[in-house]
Amino acid sequence: MAIGVERYGTRADTIALLACLVLSLVALALPEALRRPIAGALRTSVLAPVLAVERQAVTAREQRQSTVRLRAERDSFALAAAFVPELRAENAQLRSLLRLGSRLGYGFVDAEVLHQTGLSDGLTLVLSAGRRAGVVPMAPVIAPGGLVGMVVSVDPHSSVAMAWTHPDFRVSAMVEGGRLFGIVASRRAEASGEMMELRGIPYREGLAPGTTVVTSGLGGVYPRGIPIGSVQGVLSESAGWERTYLLWPAVHPAQVSHVMVLFPSRTRDTLTTDFDTTAAVAHPGTVR
Amino acid sequence: MRIPPPRLKLALVLAVLVAAHFVLRPRFGPSPLAPDLVLVALLFFAIRSRPGAGAAAGFVVGLLMDAVTPTAFGSMAFALTVVGYLAGWLKAVVFPDNLLVNTVFVFAASLARDVLQVLAAGQLRSGAAALLVTSPFAALSTTAASLLALLVFRSWLRGVPTR
Repeated sequence: MAIGVERYGTRADTIALLACLVLSLVALALPEALRRPIAGALRTSVLAPVLAVERQAVTAREQRQSTVRLRAERDSFALAAAFVPELRAENAQLRSLLRLGSRLGYGFVDAEVLHQTGLSDGLTLVLSAGRRAGVVPMAPVIAPGGLVGMVVSVDPHSSVAMAWTHPDFRVSAMVEGGRLFGIVASRRAEASGEMMELRGIPYREGLAPGTTVVTSGLGGVYPRGIPIGSVQGVLSESAGWERTYLLWPAVHPAQVSHVMVLFPSRTRDTLTTDFDTTAAVAHPGTVR
Repeated sequence: MRIPPPRLKLALVLAVLVAAHFVLRPRFGPSPLAPDLVLVALLFFAIRSRPGAGAAAGFVVGLLMDAVTPTAFGSMAFALTVVGYLAGWLKAVVFPDNLLVNTVFVFAASLARDVLQVLAAGQLRSGAAALLVTSPFAALSTTAASLLALLVFRSWLRGVPTR
């Protein structure tokens, strides 16, 4: 065999090439009716194993994608579900506020509590309503459950309220019915958190646990009848003179998200029947 | 007939490449830029065989590929017959284990396969855009895959006689 033929191919190679080319052209020239059965026969015989492998790979890929998608959806639902209790609580608050608003009828403005981070949040509250909305200093701030505090400073679009939890806060109070009067201030208890104390109750008058304490209307700041809290028990007594009672608050400032600021025109009103006492801060042992 | 060990190794490499082609191809989805490992397997075989064997292998592989994409049955067989023959013929002038030669060789073979297939199918007008846009990138990905395969299986392929 010549060197050139050895290196670049023999006659047999050329014949093989030509034969294959001719067969390819024959395949190309085949009518559609013949092409389909041949292709089908190849797919179901020689190509069946590799097509099965490819099918398995496609299935595995789809399952992986499906798993990733399902995991993402599950995570999204879990995240959404985490906010459900918070949304329910806010919804309940807003419904209570709507009911209170319809009962009050006039002389108030709604405000959102813009809770801040830090230890002072809960002692003073930033409200979303200000001078432009009619808010004035010393305006009472209430929630569906009862008294929250009093406005201390007013800006055009916001205001700052002193909550009853503030150490300087005082409100003239009375037991429902107006037979006993006293002064309510905050009391920070170590175990039970923010509480109130009702001072100046005559020694001879006993208050049963669960008795509701409301604003008296004295002093010209708060209208009469806004729930403040309910009696928990005797805190201290000075023998023969007066007793101080511990109160569960009707509203805890840190838990409210929406409030109402009353206008001065409501100061002389009596609001006893306007409040939803079931919206007050729940506590075991509290008698409503 | 007893198969010599180097030929057996080559057969194993080709089987791995074909299996990898059908396993990996779905990962690329419908992208035309997926590497064609069947072409790489054909080239690995043809460059280590006689031109006639390369042509026959190209025809068989092409016909099988035509069966799964039967728009122009026979066109891939035609293209791979020519590519397989040329690969066997060119072994006289190239060193198949050289990475640079392999790179140029696979890239050119991939492009040539696409051009010949379009010509054989008579789809030059509709396939011109694909030839200009996607074929070079597909050839690049196939070349990269062939380099990887050559690096992985280099010791196995080195012993295979190029006859």
